[in-house]
Amino acid sequence: MKKFLAILMALAMVLSMGTFASASSELAGEYDVTIWAPDAAVALTTSQVEAFNANNEFGITINATVEPVSEADAATNMITDVSAGGDLYFFAQDQLSRLIQAGALTKLGQGAAAFVKDNNSAGSTLAAQSGSDYYAYPLTADNGYFMYYDKSVIPEEDIDSLEKLVADCEAAGKNFSFELENAWYNAGFFFGVGCHSDWITDNDGNFISIDDDFNSEKGLIAAKGLYSIVSSPCYVNSSNTDFASGSAVVVTGTWNYATILEQLGDNFGVADLPSFTVDGQEYHIGSYSGCKLLGVKPQEDAVKGAALNQLAQYLTGQECQTQRAADPDQGGLGWGPSNKAALEDPACSNPALVALSEQNAYAIPQPNIHGSWWDIAKVITTDIKASDGSDEALMAALQKYDDSIAAVFEMTDEVRNAFTVIGTVAGTNWDADLPMTADGDVWTSNEAFEMEAGTEFKCRQGKAWDVAYPADNFVVDAAGTYYVQLDAASGEVSLVPAE
Amino acid sequence: MNEKRHMGLRTLNRVSNTSIYVILTIISVIWLLPFVFITLQSFRVESTYQVGYVIPKQWGLQNYINLWNSDFKRWYINTFIIALASAVLITIIQLCMSYTLSRFRFKMRGPLMRFMLILGMFPGMLTMIILYRVLSDLGLTQANAVPGLILVGVASSGMGYYVSKGFFDTIPKSLDEAARVDGATRFQVLCKIILPLSKPIVIYTILTAFMGPWGDFVFARYVAFGTSAGYNVAVGMYSWLTNDQIARMYTTFCAGGVIVAVPVTILFLCLQKYYVEGVTGGAVKG
Repeated sequence: MKKFLAILMALAMVLSMGTFASASSELAGEYDVTIWAPDAAVALTTSQVEAFNANNEFGITINATVEPVSEADAATNMITDVSAGGDLYFFAQDQLSRLIQAGALTKLGQGAAAFVKDNNSAGSTLAAQSGSDYYAYPLTADNGYFMYYDKSVIPEEDIDSLEKLVADCEAAGKNFSFELENAWYNAGFFFGVGCHSDWITDNDGNFISIDDDFNSEKGLIAAKGLYSIVSSPCYVNSSNTDFASGSAVVVTGTWNYATILEQLGDNFGVADLPSFTVDGQEYHIGSYSGCKLLGVKPQEDAVKGAALNQLAQYLTGQECQTQRAADPDQGGLGWGPSNKAALEDPACSNPALVALSEQNAYAIPQPNIHGSWWDIAKVITTDIKASDGSDEALMAALQKYDDSIAAVFEMTDEVRNAFTVIGTVAGTNWDADLPMTADGDVWTSNEAFEMEAGTEFKCRQGKAWDVAYPADNFVVDAAGTYYVQLDAASGEVSLVPAE
Repeated sequence: MNEKRHMGLRTLNRVSNTSIYVILTIISVIWLLPFVFITLQSFRVESTYQVGYVIPKQWGLQNYINLWNSDFKRWYINTFIIALASAVLITIIQLCMSYTLSRFRFKMRGPLMRFMLILGMFPGMLTMIILYRVLSDLGLTQANAVPGLILVGVASSGMGYYVSKGFFDTIPKSLDEAARVDGATRFQVLCKIILPLSKPIVIYTILTAFMGPWGDFVFARYVAFGTSAGYNVAVGMYSWLTNDQIARMYTTFCAGGVIVAVPVTILFLCLQKYYVEGVTGGAVKG
């Protein structure tokens, strides 16, 4: 019997491999595809799809409808109705988790995942990842911020020091635009002093926990740096093209390059962010570096899905990224590439992209971040601005932040009331809670455990020791496979042999 | 003594009048400023981003030309079709409904009126998701959003009968009876007797029916999501306000705002003398 089964399985394997191998030739055909791209990229994307149709080796013809949908809005629009959404869509990386949870992204197969890993910069690869799986193709790695300045106000030698910049702005009666009441920007001060804030996700895009040290001695240094700028009268909470309305320094990204170049003309200056000084020591302001991704919507027709993945790989490949990186007046978009080969290309470097890559030395690749964090972290600046700048007040602001993020993972009542088994059970050593299910007052472990004589454990409630049975550890007498059973009313723990 | 007191009153009058006018002028300036601002910005051609001054340094029509060359035309036509069709259909349905409830006596009249009153108390947004599903199954979303939005706007319009029913109730029934005696049908009574006497309320119904879809954003965005061909002006213009677009599109956006205001302004100017009468008309007798 076993032999027969083995033969059958081997046969099935060969068959499935056969279909796999011939898949590429089966991709030939015409596909109606909707692509969501930001307005500015619609024309370029249309011509890139035409180039794909003309040159691909699989015989794929894509009849593309390119709709202008901003990458900032993609998730909101997709989640409205995934089935009616775009088949391929540009989106900003912070939407990854939401899109995975909504079932709007196809998990990449091994080949596609390797394509992403091999061709793109480390930060952008990380952005396309949830758990150990990849869900999207990096399009750019330019979603970061740096500093534009007016050379007629700011002398060249002052651009490395935040204090000097602020003094120059104050002296000239000009503003310093830095959108610090936005977590994306104010986190730069904390990264600059070496703090970190990492959210941990599982393979399904769910957030499990956070590892964050903003509320620390290092964090206090960052808070002092923040205070030194937000307490100045020249500070403006903005990342717009404010040179026309009285700013001499604006911290923003590549998307405003063309406008600012036009605004400042000969006085155009661009550089990485400055350093701030606390207690005689200099800290270079850090930043987030992020990227735009290209997502493929799950398809009912697997062949179409495979064809879309080929198109996505072309659109995010070296050729297309280089085209996008060209200056806007040469038919490009000025988008900084994530593709390693395109990054080397001298055609992909306008002054803004150069400043961005200099700033990237101090940047943290933006990981998956819980949606609530942005609102929690932006309050740090508001609180610091309202404070008197004393250490106590700054620490209070950080403490408030810390409490707020801790509350995100506060347990639900269900978890608080549930009993779990903890001990030297199933290869664990008092470090994992094994779930139990209730039937009235009687709780039974979800699995039967192989236990040796001398195995010890307890059943505890809410993953805490306030309520735990029995009072002394339960010790197993005879080896065997048992379910653990607890009568919560009496507190009696027993073993039920598994059949 | 008398003379003096008289003078005092006149001065007092003048002072109070002056201060009232000053206050009203200030309020109207504050109120009008955004409109003036938008209009001026729409003629600014030296740059396309937000600036710190109001008066353009270079005047021109480039922004309006940009509008003409963008999808705005399509959005404008969409909005106009939706608003016009809704205005016609809603007016007909609502007036028929009001006439029926005002003049006919039938068994379920009372319960029906109460039922509609209660239904009307639920915020319309509650039904958004289920309406979306229905429209999507009918194929009336995204590129076909225009008929979908008309359908949604018109479908529940009968429930807005209160104001015009109140107005019809004030027209003496003896007029109907006289017409009926002369051989008019119910429909003729409505068209030839009631409606000519109810001009203000008809105008009011048309105006409100037109204005609703004209400024609709939430539902229009939900139904037409991600498909430029189905957008109305509000949704389409909002798509120009994203971070990556606003520096390029800001003055064009202002020009769009001016164009959107044009038909509404014309409509109001033509119909405003009826409007005030209409708004309060139904309130005389419930």
